[in-house]
Amino acid sequence: MWQYIIKRVLGLIPLVLVVSFVIFMFIHLIPGDPARLIAGKEATYEEVQQIRESLGLEKPLFVQYFDYLKSLLSGDLGYSIQSGAPVSELIGERIMPTLGLTFLSIGWALVVGILLGIISAVFRNKWPDYLGMLTAVSGISLPNFWVGLVLIQLFSVQLGLLPTGGADGWQSYLMPSFALGAGIMAMIARFTRSSLVNTLKQDYIRTGRAKGLGGNAIIFGHALKNSLIPVVTIAGLQFGFLLGGSVVVETVFSFPGLGRLLIDSIQIRDYPVVQAEILLFSLQFILVNLLVDIIYSFLNPKIRYE
Amino acid sequence: MTNKWIRLMILLGIIVVVSACSSDANSDNDQGNKGEGDKELTIAIDQNFVTLDPQNAGDTVSIFGTRAMYEGLVGFNEHMEIEPVLAEDYQVSDDALTYTFQLRKDVTFHDGEPFNADAVKANYERIIDEDNDLRAKRNLQYVEKLEVINEYEVAFILNQPFSAMLNKFAMVPFISPKALEDDEKDIALHPVGTGPFKFIEWNQGDSLVLEKYNDYWNAANSDAEKVTFKPVPENGSRAAMLKTGEADFIYPVPQQDIKELESNSDVVIEKTPSTIARYVSINTFKEPFNNEKVRKAMNYAVNKDAYIKVVKNGYGNILDSTMSTETQYYTKQEPYEFNLEKAKDLLTEAGYENGFEAEIWGNTSSETLQGMEFIKQQLAEIGIDVTIKSMEEGTLSDEIYTPETPKDAKVQMWYVSWSPSSGDADGATRSLFSSEYFPPNGANTAYYNNSDVNTWIHVANETSNIDEQEEIYANIQSTVYREAPWIFLATDTILSGHRKNLEGVYVLPDGSVSIKNAQFK
Repeated sequence: MWQYIIKRVLGLIPLVLVVSFVIFMFIHLIPGDPARLIAGKEATYEEVQQIRESLGLEKPLFVQYFDYLKSLLSGDLGYSIQSGAPVSELIGERIMPTLGLTFLSIGWALVVGILLGIISAVFRNKWPDYLGMLTAVSGISLPNFWVGLVLIQLFSVQLGLLPTGGADGWQSYLMPSFALGAGIMAMIARFTRSSLVNTLKQDYIRTGRAKGLGGNAIIFGHALKNSLIPVVTIAGLQFGFLLGGSVVVETVFSFPGLGRLLIDSIQIRDYPVVQAEILLFSLQFILVNLLVDIIYSFLNPKIRYE
Repeated sequence: MTNKWIRLMILLGIIVVVSACSSDANSDNDQGNKGEGDKELTIAIDQNFVTLDPQNAGDTVSIFGTRAMYEGLVGFNEHMEIEPVLAEDYQVSDDALTYTFQLRKDVTFHDGEPFNADAVKANYERIIDEDNDLRAKRNLQYVEKLEVINEYEVAFILNQPFSAMLNKFAMVPFISPKALEDDEKDIALHPVGTGPFKFIEWNQGDSLVLEKYNDYWNAANSDAEKVTFKPVPENGSRAAMLKTGEADFIYPVPQQDIKELESNSDVVIEKTPSTIARYVSINTFKEPFNNEKVRKAMNYAVNKDAYIKVVKNGYGNILDSTMSTETQYYTKQEPYEFNLEKAKDLLTEAGYENGFEAEIWGNTSSETLQGMEFIKQQLAEIGIDVTIKSMEEGTLSDEIYTPETPKDAKVQMWYVSWSPSSGDADGATRSLFSSEYFPPNGANTAYYNNSDVNTWIHVANETSNIDEQEEIYANIQSTVYREAPWIFLATDTILSGHRKNLEGVYVLPDGSVSIKNAQFK
């Protein structure tokens, strides 16, 4: 197992190189000239040229890439071409709020989603099932920006209990994590339900019941663990997405996360920031995938990695 | 049983949603983290600050953010008229080539350094240094040298007269020379100026926090102890912050929230005319737009009142010149009244009685899309079949500004707005209508070329006589308006809102927020 993990981690190195190359080329090839955007609408051609030169954008693309790679390998992510702030600092400031929001959202979504799924599966086609699935369908179908605005209207404007946005104190995490987690909770509930319903039809469950095992022992001792594989897959995927920050929810709650930083940076073609952020997202996704694979093998010892 | 439960749940759901959406405008629940009587000012705006280097700020938000901490020799008052700030007084020589400033003697920077001629010199040298690539350099492009007369008097010598020079001086704020010496790169992140508020912290994308500078030379004007700027891009959230009292001032106020906010007794909505002109630039280099009759027909075909009502929700005024009423030397022109018959006749005279196909470009904002839709519908009435091409801002800027010659330009019509950065007539004219400023060299995207106008633009800059300048700009406006290189649409109305207990915070016509006179009642 350890060998497998080490192998996977080492395999990241060529992957990161490929990803860095692809990101670099993509961001430089999309239309939009950062020098023009920095110089502004009143700028003359000479002024734009001068800025382009000072940013090193006049050099051939491959030379620029190798410069970038060199500093990347020495751990230097560069400086924002707009504000002049170090990219590592910009991302550092945003990563903690995003991590906090991600864990909170995925945390409650997992607990509530799995619970709802179990209740729905156990009481299949009875009212708790309908209620659970109604909640799930609502969670999936309500757009999160709308949920966000309704929450602000209710809890901030009407009741005056929570701040409308920002990331100051735990209170400001509640509404965004609810808005973000609602959809994921719903998905987890549905996956848990259908997977558990399938498992409960298996022969070994019937055998368990025949042996006289109680309901709880069957569900929590045998069926649930075996039903969690699809749930782990979906939760892992969502976790990866959340780590990249959610532009919509971050915008509604003026939350200083990675999603908004990315969008703001793309709009002004702040190449170093965009490159660093996308690289970070790719790494996060690769690591989350690895983590999911490891959890698989715990849930189902039949899954082995060589 | 089952059906009953479902019905109950639906009912509960409806109650929650309805209670959430019902607006109790007069409910007084200032749960914002502060009570009455504190002097903390929170301002919610719609964009992030890009930089805090006052000599390199180009976007409006960064400019007004830095203005809270920095000042220039002169500045703008509420109506964008020039007033002395760090200079007690100033004189302009008869040949308009020498600007002499007497500096205030009671000014210190936030780090305790005195403001004097040496400070002016250190800043001047930083700005004109080619290697620094600062935006402020453009404001001093006609300055040949700086003369230090004594500790509190300096003179800027120009190499040619420039009518908007004072406005440009207002765009040159001064940084502590000691801070420049210590770590120039750090200026963008740790500002040190002479302004009423000094820097505490900047969490990019989240907040900019300032506190009162106790040794400020004009301290009596404001009683705010602490100021927090918060970028809140979502309209609904910004409006909610004003309602709850989390923000004392918001700008812009979303048009759709105006009515509700106006009915809230804790909130005051301000409507200010702006320097922002909205128009469609028409590529006069291309057929059929090179025909003046076609361009005039397009102007007659658009109902500007309806445009303001539909696209601007009623908040705006007809653009009845090449610049807004708030811009220096504005002269009113007779607007192109909405007249479809006249428009059709003009098209027929121009040989396009069956109309033609055309393309309009714009960015992806919903207001731009709505505006382009409106133009499309209006021009369809006279047989012009318009295709809308909406592009992301960076891509659009590339398409517009990269063509090397007018021939290469693919743009036909561009739905856009313009606001001169320092409210001056030159800024609203030269780069838009001089043939020296065709892209990629400037923003004359109509490729408008009139030799009289080209000459007048030069002459206006070279004279120091204000009456003469006014007359020349009046000529330019009437000529350009008559030749219609744009579809002239509207000027924006600036909508801002503040809590009732706040006074003295306002938005200037160029869209910058001034907090220097902030007072709590």
